[in-house]
Amino acid sequence: MKPIVMRNTLTIFAGLLALFLIFYPGSAPAQAPIKVGIIDTYTGPPTTYTYDVRDAFKLAIDEINAKGGVLGRKIEFTTRDDKFKVDLALSTAKELVMNEKVDILMGTINSAGALAVSEFCKTEKIPFLVTFSKSDKITGEKGHRYVFSVTENTAMIGKAAAVGLAKRPFVKYWITGDDYEYGHALADGVWGHLKKIKPNVELVGQSWWKVGEPELTPYLTAISSAKPDAVIFATGGASMVNVMKAAKATGFAERIPIYIHTATELSTLAPLGLEAPEKVIGTSNYQFYYPDSPKNKAFAKAFREAYKREPKVGALYGYITAQFIVQSLAKAGKMDREKFIDALEKMKVDTPVGEVEMRAFDHQAMLPMFMGVTKKVPEYPFLIASDIITIPAKEVMPSIEEIKKVRGQ
Amino acid sequence: MGFLPNIGPAEFLSQLLVGFSRAMILFTVCAGLSFVLGVLRVPNIAHGSLYMIGAFVTFSLSKSFGGSSGFWFALLLAPLVVAGISLVAERGLFRHLYQREHLMLLLFTFALALILGDLVKIFWGAEYRSVPAPDILKGSISILGASFPRYNLFLIFIGLLVAVALWLFVNRTKIGKISRAAAVDRDMVALLGINVSRVFAGAFVIGCCLAGLGGALVAPTVSITLGMDHTLIIEAFLIVTIGGLGNMWGALVGSLIFGVTQSLGVLIFPQFAIVFPFAAVVIVLLLRPKGLLKSVW
Repeated sequence: MKPIVMRNTLTIFAGLLALFLIFYPGSAPAQAPIKVGIIDTYTGPPTTYTYDVRDAFKLAIDEINAKGGVLGRKIEFTTRDDKFKVDLALSTAKELVMNEKVDILMGTINSAGALAVSEFCKTEKIPFLVTFSKSDKITGEKGHRYVFSVTENTAMIGKAAAVGLAKRPFVKYWITGDDYEYGHALADGVWGHLKKIKPNVELVGQSWWKVGEPELTPYLTAISSAKPDAVIFATGGASMVNVMKAAKATGFAERIPIYIHTATELSTLAPLGLEAPEKVIGTSNYQFYYPDSPKNKAFAKAFREAYKREPKVGALYGYITAQFIVQSLAKAGKMDREKFIDALEKMKVDTPVGEVEMRAFDHQAMLPMFMGVTKKVPEYPFLIASDIITIPAKEVMPSIEEIKKVRGQ
Repeated sequence: MGFLPNIGPAEFLSQLLVGFSRAMILFTVCAGLSFVLGVLRVPNIAHGSLYMIGAFVTFSLSKSFGGSSGFWFALLLAPLVVAGISLVAERGLFRHLYQREHLMLLLFTFALALILGDLVKIFWGAEYRSVPAPDILKGSISILGASFPRYNLFLIFIGLLVAVALWLFVNRTKIGKISRAAAVDRDMVALLGINVSRVFAGAFVIGCCLAGLGGALVAPTVSITLGMDHTLIIEAFLIVTIGGLGNMWGALVGSLIFGVTQSLGVLIFPQFAIVFPFAAVVIVLLLRPKGLLKSVW
């Protein structure tokens, strides 16, 4: 009589399932959770950066939920992979808003994707916090009421680098880098500001390689022969490791001072181990060992215990985003998008790098930048940044006049 | 800023040598691709993936052996691992497809490249990886006052070694001679009572093994990452096309043209450096549409 036994088992299962469905949500607090949608690249090399954003965000949200959430409601988040594609970023943003009914959107490491989602959020009136895209258009030319950036952008990197480099005695510069939007934007940002702060600097030449170029040695040997005082590398992503390796193998870093944004960042230095060149000047928003403050130590420790790795710069962005969202919700008093935005403007949060303010005018988080020089130390199996100077946020931020100008106001 | 650096003989020579060293990695990979093209008539897009796997295996092996000598073991073993993978692929998949038309083979190897790419992601993850060069090859030496990385000198040496070994294999061994014959007329070889299927398997494995060797050789100079297969396979197909499809010496000539135009282009016109190797390809194809050396196709 096997079929009947099976039918009975099925009935019992169905009954249990029905009971579970009826009673489980009922036993939870009556308030539905506040929903955050994360669109980011979770396939391919960008995950070096995006996993840290997500993981640090989760860590912060778990802690807040454990204390009862915000406004008596828990925070829930859903992630979507945009595969570094603009159309996918946009369609998943729509899907999250229409089907998942998220209240707030965040994410994207692809600037073009961020700009597309930002346009969508502008028409749909959804708050959108950009976590890793570096285009200065996001909060500059294309900024609007519903978009915020909690990460540095190319204008800020350029200013920070110029401020730091102007303090050094170099006059003759060579600029080289990845031949794409980010590379050129970075180079223009640094050079434009440097020329302003220190008018006697001179550009002796420039060279650009195609993105993903595996062999950079010929570029470095060619630059050596021009004998500049210093070289600005406008590069990012996988090219970082290639540049650092070629600089080491050719002895380039020993002979000519070089500046590369994120050269001192853990995302670059960890994969290289002790193979990274010393004396490379770099800038970054975050180091897990600097500033040596109790807040940063506690943050790094919690991240390390949860994920068995040191937090990279993305972890800072994830953490800050969580703080901005939660504290603005608390201030707004209820989940109302317009009230949330009013609260988020001018919001100040305490972070591992000190207090960070969301500038009301352009919705750009005011992050300090740390400039350091790569160095071998006995404590770690990779190089770290030494002689770190902090370039405060007010020296890094583009001025409000500059923002007005690009927005044609 | 039409700036030209002061190019002395030392800079020129060191730049030329850098070009040669890049050409040698390209040659190692392209010789394999060309060999498979010639003997099996398979345009193997997955060849780039095998190169990438070679680099990732080198990373894992040199890490698990550890120390400065770890790389040497990896350099020997990684091509063999890749050869093993390709043997499985040949016996399991490729041998059923040789009779299909080229478009089918192109689609099939493209699919295989995507699958291998995803397998690499599952095995090694998406992070950048880096392999240290052995101590003896670290740093640089001075050539007429210009500094030159030791590892690149080693690459030139290995590249020449690969070229000599391939010449001996093709001209002096039985399987090499049969492969050459099969490339020209496979039915004729089969009629002579030779097991063509086995010859094909051997040729395929040798070709793929060279891709693995290329991956192992390039490992200490670059970041090992997903996507390194795409960059390479495009250049590799250009090189075998300008060299003459299926002609291994064509692969050598093509690689030299590609590597040297790139490195000298950077020295002379740094702002337009990207263009030079591709401009060279266009010129060659305009003058000799079937490639510089005799194509076996």
